[in-house]
Amino acid sequence: MPGIFVFSEDLALAGQLLTPGLALAQALAQPLVALATGQAEAETLAGLGADRALVLKAERSAPEALAPAIAELLAREGASVVLVGGTLRGKHLAAHVAAALNAGLTTDAKSLVIVDGQLATQRILYAGLAVCDEVVALPAVATIPQRTFLAPAAAARPGTVETLEVVADTRITVQSVTPVESEGVDISAAIKLVAVGRGFAKKEDLSLARDLAGGLKAELACTRGIAEDEHWLPIERYIGISGQTVKPELYLAVGLSGQVQHMVGCRESKVIVAINKDEQAPIFEAADYGIVGDLYQVLPLLTAALQN
Amino acid sequence: MPKILVCYKWVLNEQDIKIRPEDLSLDTGRAKGKISDFDRNAIEEATLIVEQQGGTVDALSYGTPAVKQSIKDVLSRGPNRLLWVGDPKAEDADALVIAKVLAAAIRKSGPYDLILCGEGSSDMFYQQIPARLAALLELPCLTFVSKMTLEGGTLMAQRKPGDCTEQVSVTGPAVVSVLSEINKPRIPSLKQVLGAAKKPSEEIALDSLGLAAGELTPKAVRKAPKGFLMNRKNVVFKESDAAVNVAKLVASLKAEGLH
Repeated sequence: MPGIFVFSEDLALAGQLLTPGLALAQALAQPLVALATGQAEAETLAGLGADRALVLKAERSAPEALAPAIAELLAREGASVVLVGGTLRGKHLAAHVAAALNAGLTTDAKSLVIVDGQLATQRILYAGLAVCDEVVALPAVATIPQRTFLAPAAAARPGTVETLEVVADTRITVQSVTPVESEGVDISAAIKLVAVGRGFAKKEDLSLARDLAGGLKAELACTRGIAEDEHWLPIERYIGISGQTVKPELYLAVGLSGQVQHMVGCRESKVIVAINKDEQAPIFEAADYGIVGDLYQVLPLLTAALQN
Repeated sequence: MPKILVCYKWVLNEQDIKIRPEDLSLDTGRAKGKISDFDRNAIEEATLIVEQQGGTVDALSYGTPAVKQSIKDVLSRGPNRLLWVGDPKAEDADALVIAKVLAAAIRKSGPYDLILCGEGSSDMFYQQIPARLAALLELPCLTFVSKMTLEGGTLMAQRKPGDCTEQVSVTGPAVVSVLSEINKPRIPSLKQVLGAAKKPSEEIALDSLGLAAGELTPKAVRKAPKGFLMNRKNVVFKESDAAVNVAKLVASLKAEGLH
């Protein structure tokens, strides 16, 4: 039967998807159905407002492996809107599902409403330089990033939970899985961040930024280059279009030029401060306060001044 | 020896796009084209494979007629041959349409042992083409690959799908999307640039692909993009004495209640 379907392998994100899901279900007068890979997850989602929660039982639970089975289920049920948590695995699943349903797909939708029987979404373009409205004919698919919505409050009456046997795609052999070594730091929760870029000549010099962060009680963040090319800081500290998105009270950017791909991850910060020796660097346009100067000279002075 | 296809998109360089302050519309008049950043990694990876073990690399792109400007650039980066579909309809195409056009072109020029794509394009960043292509072509899809080796007909790959690192393998043709960390795209040498002029480049007419009009109609329609306005105070301290600048910044942070 037609409905609004939500899926994310990340339970917190799946809960967040229910918020736009409930609004769309109301707008289209259709039920809200949550897909999950475990009984406990399905019960949680049924308790948060999903009319039905389906537990998909399969040989594998990775979203990529479930994509063909989920696409088949959605085609059979006649899904009108499919909301998928915008993790990398979720994006893979969503694109497969959209192809199978011959549907349009908005990547990283920031807002979703029904207008004239179509799904009107908003998303970014050109790495965040611009935003645009995207209107998708039904059936429509959208991926939604983490923390775009808050999860709804508990429903007055929980929905039903059903179990469904499905066949996973096993064409790819998974030989081993190594969890990412995490320091357990949630950068997105930090109130203050000191972000470093290629203005630092070598890894040891990051101690200047660490000292400053210590004085400010801030966490350290970085650009893609510092995390992925130099490997000076873990990937989880990298801010930008394919990294973390943060909204701290203070974002102090040191030795980074402020490319749009980076700024899209931090531009909702309350106050942005830039320290850069190049007065023409785009970071100054994106900053509230800036110092034009050599970070090797400015940082020790700033750290000392903040201690007084 | 493997027959590889690499897909790429010719995009506007976002660094050249200006926002008109009066209505936030985008001024792309001075924007130059470029091969989408992540697609350069896909081209490099395909080229590295055939440099090591032989085989051929075809490059494929669907875009507006401007895609023709990419011929020399893409061929100087390694591919043996270019196939391109240039049509004004591409301006409004969504990922659904782009994937259908690419899949149709691949059916025509293939089969291939391996189809490589970047993680996402630097303009739209749909991140949909690899999985859509694989679904349309009924091939397995390995997304977000950070390392790969091709041995015989078996592809061994390391994936980084966010929460972990996976070692995976697949035998037979597959679609792969690569992360930028997989390699460092070369800066073509003069010899490679000159050599590119001698490589074959073949235009494929959109209407020769057997796609019905409905299949070329986007299901996701983009409305006029608006520039994201940076509304910041832009107070810059640039005295020659760094200590003066630091004192002013500290005073500002205090005024903001941040220290």
